[in-house]
Amino acid sequence: MKKIINYILTGVLLAATSCSDFLDINDSPNAPASVTPNVLLPAALAGTAFANNNELNRFGSTITSVTAGAANSPAAYDIYNLDGANFNNQWRFEIYNGSLITYKTLMGVSEEIGSRSYQGIAKIMSAYTFSIATDYWGDIPYSQALQGEENTAPELDTQEQIYLGGDGVQSLFDLVKEGLADLESASTINPGSDDLIYGGDLDNWKKAGNSLLLKFANTISRVAPERATQEIQAVISGNNFIANNSENMNFTFGSAVGSRAPVYEYTNVTAFRNDMMISTRFLNLLQGKNDPRLPIFVTAPTGSYVTIDNGFRGALPTPNTSWSRFSEYVTGDGEGPVRFMTNAQTQFILAESALMLGTPGDPEEYFQAGIRASMALAGLSSTEIDAYFAANPDEVTLNGSEDENHEKIMTQKYISLYGNGVEQWNDYRRTGYPVLADHQNAVGVDGTRPVRAQYVNEEIARNTNFEVILPNVRVWWDID
Amino acid sequence: MKKVLLCLVLTIMTAYTVMAQSRTITGQVTSSDEPEGIPGASISIKGTTTGTVTDIDGRYSINVPGESGVLVFSFVGFETEEITVGNRTTIDVVLRQDVRVLSEVVVTAQNIERNEKSLGYTVQSVKGDVISQRSEPNVLNTLQGRVAGVNIGSASGSPGASTNINIRGITSFTGSNQPLIVVDGIIFSNNTDNTQNTLFGSQPGNRLNDIAPETIESINILKGPAASVLYGSRASAGAIIITTKSGSGMEGKTEVTITSSFNMQDPINYAPLQNNYGQGTTNNFVPTATTSWGPRFGTPGFNTVTNTQGETVPYQLYPNHFDLFFQQGTLLQNGVSIASGTADDNFILSINSTNQEGIIPETGFDRYNVQIGGNKKLQNGIDVGGSMTYVKSKQRSGTAGNGGSAMGQITRIPRSYDFGGTPFRNELGAPIYYNPPNTHPLWSTQNETFDSNIDRMFGNLTIGYDFADWLNVTYRVTADTYTDRRKQILRIGASRSPQGSLGDDMVFRSELNGDLLISMNKNDLFFVEGFNANMLLGQNINQRDFQNTRVVGDGLNIFGFDNVSNADVFTNSLETSSRRRLIGHYAQLNLDYKDYLFLELSGRVDQSSTLPANNNTYFYPSVALSFVPTDLFDLQSDILSQIKIKANAARVGRDADPYLLTSLFSQASYGNNLAQINFPLSVGGASVPGFFPQNRIGSMDLAPEFVTNYEVGAVFSLFDYRVELDVLYFNTLSTNQIFDVAISPSSGFDNRTTNIGEMVNQGIEATLRALVVESGQFTWESELNFTRIRNEVKSIAEGVENSTIPGNSFLGIAPSIAVGYPYGVIISTKNPRNDAGELLINPATGGFAPGVPGQVIANQQPDWIAGLSNTFRYRNFTLSTLFDARVGGELYSFGQVDLRSGGHIDYTGVDRHMPRILPGVIDNGDGTYRPNNIQIPAQTYFGSLGGLASEGAVFDATVYRLRELALNYNLPASLLNNTPFGQASIGVSARNLLFFAPGFPADPEVNTQGAGNIQGMDLSGPPQVRNYGVNLRFTL
Repeated sequence: MKKIINYILTGVLLAATSCSDFLDINDSPNAPASVTPNVLLPAALAGTAFANNNELNRFGSTITSVTAGAANSPAAYDIYNLDGANFNNQWRFEIYNGSLITYKTLMGVSEEIGSRSYQGIAKIMSAYTFSIATDYWGDIPYSQALQGEENTAPELDTQEQIYLGGDGVQSLFDLVKEGLADLESASTINPGSDDLIYGGDLDNWKKAGNSLLLKFANTISRVAPERATQEIQAVISGNNFIANNSENMNFTFGSAVGSRAPVYEYTNVTAFRNDMMISTRFLNLLQGKNDPRLPIFVTAPTGSYVTIDNGFRGALPTPNTSWSRFSEYVTGDGEGPVRFMTNAQTQFILAESALMLGTPGDPEEYFQAGIRASMALAGLSSTEIDAYFAANPDEVTLNGSEDENHEKIMTQKYISLYGNGVEQWNDYRRTGYPVLADHQNAVGVDGTRPVRAQYVNEEIARNTNFEVILPNVRVWWDID
Repeated sequence: MKKVLLCLVLTIMTAYTVMAQSRTITGQVTSSDEPEGIPGASISIKGTTTGTVTDIDGRYSINVPGESGVLVFSFVGFETEEITVGNRTTIDVVLRQDVRVLSEVVVTAQNIERNEKSLGYTVQSVKGDVISQRSEPNVLNTLQGRVAGVNIGSASGSPGASTNINIRGITSFTGSNQPLIVVDGIIFSNNTDNTQNTLFGSQPGNRLNDIAPETIESINILKGPAASVLYGSRASAGAIIITTKSGSGMEGKTEVTITSSFNMQDPINYAPLQNNYGQGTTNNFVPTATTSWGPRFGTPGFNTVTNTQGETVPYQLYPNHFDLFFQQGTLLQNGVSIASGTADDNFILSINSTNQEGIIPETGFDRYNVQIGGNKKLQNGIDVGGSMTYVKSKQRSGTAGNGGSAMGQITRIPRSYDFGGTPFRNELGAPIYYNPPNTHPLWSTQNETFDSNIDRMFGNLTIGYDFADWLNVTYRVTADTYTDRRKQILRIGASRSPQGSLGDDMVFRSELNGDLLISMNKNDLFFVEGFNANMLLGQNINQRDFQNTRVVGDGLNIFGFDNVSNADVFTNSLETSSRRRLIGHYAQLNLDYKDYLFLELSGRVDQSSTLPANNNTYFYPSVALSFVPTDLFDLQSDILSQIKIKANAARVGRDADPYLLTSLFSQASYGNNLAQINFPLSVGGASVPGFFPQNRIGSMDLAPEFVTNYEVGAVFSLFDYRVELDVLYFNTLSTNQIFDVAISPSSGFDNRTTNIGEMVNQGIEATLRALVVESGQFTWESELNFTRIRNEVKSIAEGVENSTIPGNSFLGIAPSIAVGYPYGVIISTKNPRNDAGELLINPATGGFAPGVPGQVIANQQPDWIAGLSNTFRYRNFTLSTLFDARVGGELYSFGQVDLRSGGHIDYTGVDRHMPRILPGVIDNGDGTYRPNNIQIPAQTYFGSLGGLASEGAVFDATVYRLRELALNYNLPASLLNNTPFGQASIGVSARNLLFFAPGFPADPEVNTQGAGNIQGMDLSGPPQVRNYGVNLRFTL
């Protein structure tokens, strides 16, 4: 008997003495501790695509009278209501905790293995994603952001610093240029099918980088015209930007459940799909121009367009299956695509710059190229486009005063940006074009259309560097 | 059973009966419990060894020498009675139950039986007879209202719904605050295993559901760290020691017990609804409106309307959609147990079944338990024992939660919607509803189901040996393992997944424990008489495994084919595994001086795999003192029987969850219920994997968290132990909490794991027990318990004023910890008020001024809870009642907001045409305010009272309740004499028969999030139920 007890005791003691191994089991089997660039890149790109294509897009489209809210948050946006409870997921999980931290990780991982191409793409996309954030929120954490434990409450950089640099802050222009320089360098490994924008075509990435420089310059063109002019001239003389629809900087989702673009899910699938439809104002705008893109852009399930006015608070049209919504031009069959930068966009930027800043080129030529690029992207043949130009000369020629011509450019750009509410709102705030009437039943802070997004409540609560700035305060580049 | 046992005693005792000379006294010994007579009671002549025992009818006969003799009547469990014989020849005696004896022995940590008098901490014992046959299959629910210091709340009346239990408040920010459950020495998983989003998903049960109440002999609740310190980290939230029935008390006999009960369950419906207005908004009919703000019934032009499907339908009242949706539930429980043996050689075999059909169509709970166990002292002196239990259970529930679920829609049925008469599916099964893509609640119950299939084994094996009469060594191995095969079905058309989704979810848990226990005792230590000591040395080796593998098939093709091969996409599939180990060494020294002064010193060292290797060992001590001044100073009187003073101080450490030390990556996903993607993405026919950094930053500096507790109290026993008052105060300080502190999202991460914070619990517990009346065949026992706990979060992290409790919650309605507030407050948007506390009105709209986000709007913790149980016995009848009260505390309710802002509830139909004015004031702009005088329509008014994410959704959860009513009748022995039955009883019982909730239109005891740290939220969950039925028990 005692023997048995002795055996047990011995066993117990053995177990106790070898316990350093016994307890060394705390490595997670559920999540990797390190990953490779080819899995980081698509995750990060998808985050940027989500940021552009989801809630920020619904807000941008609604506040610029492209869409109208029928219920829930789009209905609130429609009457100018916006506060710190909005865009929480976008700020946190799509921008900072989603795409931006992943680009930052990608930069580090690819630097270690000498992949300059991954680094370059990460920098260009990082700059673009930061631009979405600063354009919506103004001053944001930038140079101190994304440092994790090193800085759990980063300070904000001003939007001016972010765009122009200075005080130790690298400008978005320089970040893109650094990325472009990476793309020119020898690289150990290069992206392929994991690059959900260009499938690993680095030449197109260079074009995208230069086009982003155009976009950034265009954004600051009123507050810092000299810098804008200088940046645009440099890109024009480099002549390596998106100048063809096939070079468009598009993120393509899939058509299967769980792989589809948020705008597709929101328009066609989710329980919230009846919260928003196309605005009567956008319909009227295109009808007024006899625009052949209307039936391509906007659905008409019953054969005629069913829309509501912005801010409308009466009984909604029934049934909701009759409503006019984003068409496949925007949603695809789930793929999107999400159009970050398009040929039409660069053409309109060059048209506006030539007109307003005097950069090289003929404004009308760029203007018409922009319209043609957009119509071609919508699927119209060159014959159809020519026919439209012939029948509607006033729509496609810059034959008015500078302001009138500016309005024409911006209005056509607005139409061509259909489905990209982020850029529509940016352009509208910067130029005031197209002229948009106030929405019905407007409330907001003071009855005016919001000109910035309010910092999310989580940042206010967690980071004392943030203070509440209401949506009626302009951002730096929005001078009037 | 008792009778059988006593017959045995009788036979033995008779042999020793001494026959004396002189005259013979006869009589009968009875009690209020057993008016037919107590068999086996002993009668002795005081001062002699002469005695006898009563026969089967309680009758006796004894010869006494003279008239001066005194007869002593005694029986275990009863007070001893002394009667002077005098000149009588017949003496009948009614023995009184000894209340003191019943509560004397309790089971403490590591299943050590102790005399309650010696404890410097608090252990409350609940006997099996108040748990079994109570119309309630969940053991935890049967404890509601019975135990001071314990807060128990069930999630809903849905079959198998989980029940939350906290002993002495919340002590950990994020760790489990549920007590450790120990069943026959087996550490028993009571996990809820929420593998789905609790906001939308179905609610699995807590796994204590796997214990059949019929099998329980007793439950001992170890309150506070001092009581549970020997169990270590795991029991810092207290422990519940469940002892199941065994054959050890059978005195060699065999007993077969058969139990059966049948109960009905009625839903406790929502508030009454208005009957005058139908579907619509602003007095117009709108076919897709979820509200009843449409035209008044009978309005010209609204005799018929066109519904969402384009059909012309009558516009009229359909009054009873709740009645058409809910059904009467049934609960059938059956059991057989065979027990036999002696303390040294015994076995038990029991089989129990529970079959429940819920109040919501398609829901149910079935459970089958088989248990076998026994002990034997071998010839060589080795004690061996073991038991093994197999449980098979199946829970079927539906979807719940806001919006797209049966429960989310049932509060949004317009009063003119023909709930029972409108078809809700087409011939292919696809949903038809007034408000697509939502679905009819009956479509949901048929096509959105969640099954949980448990197969569980648990058991123990003990081997022990007495090396000397003062030294025992025992080794005990326990195992508890289960698999829960879950299946979530969302058929094509479900609003949560319009293209359909199937989830095959496998949850596996296993826990192994090896405990070495060396116990020693020595009396008259250091040659001091009455100075006794015993000491326990122990070692525990623990391993816990968890695995959850889930195959989720999305994008279904064939309606009704609920097999994942029917799906196109599997990107929501996942695997989560964890393993953790812990080695603990513990010691306890008990010193006892002359049975009036007791000192207990305990200590435990734990070494955990989940903490950093260089900082994974931590020690914690406990000291407990019990002092009985009445024994020392001999203060006993007719009034004062005993005073015991108890005091203790203890500290318990708690380790982290596994894998918190490092920052990791995870498969990327974006979005929420508006739009969502999950990697790998399927793009252009190719599968593209994607990973990104997790939102949490790990910490290699993590240390254990601690709970430090002080407790003082006293137990007063009065009137010959007929009244006992147990009062105590405790103060618990939780420090060094392991918490994921929210950080600035622009840091690139959302939170970081670290040790922070401080939280305090202060509480008063009181229990008053009394034998109120004992007169002849009638007794009345009463027990009142009272608990008042004040919990406060003292600090979180530097610069952090509040943080969300991990778990699922809606944005803007965050169950939180907030400095200066009790744990679990809800942070949301609050209506602004002026300095005088008056609500501010927006002069432009007449509504409340825009709300201020980030404010504490609700506190779910009650001010106090109390329970009052009464047991009345008359002859063979036993009537027991249990009232309880939960006063204060708030409930956040989506369903009630739906009914109010939707214009469904009765008072929204009263004078609806009259404009209303919200209570509040308007800012004059100069620091003064004028009363609000802006008239607004009824719809605006009730809408303004509060939408979902506002303080308007908060209700007072105070409730007074007749928790239980049970009447039991024991068939008299005379009736059973010629039957094979030793004992038979029949009873009726009811639970939740009546309640009064002044601040809430329904039963406020609901919590959609189930057992866990998030409480006080009714996010469109199933309601509570009322149970009533009959039960039978007989023994062979």
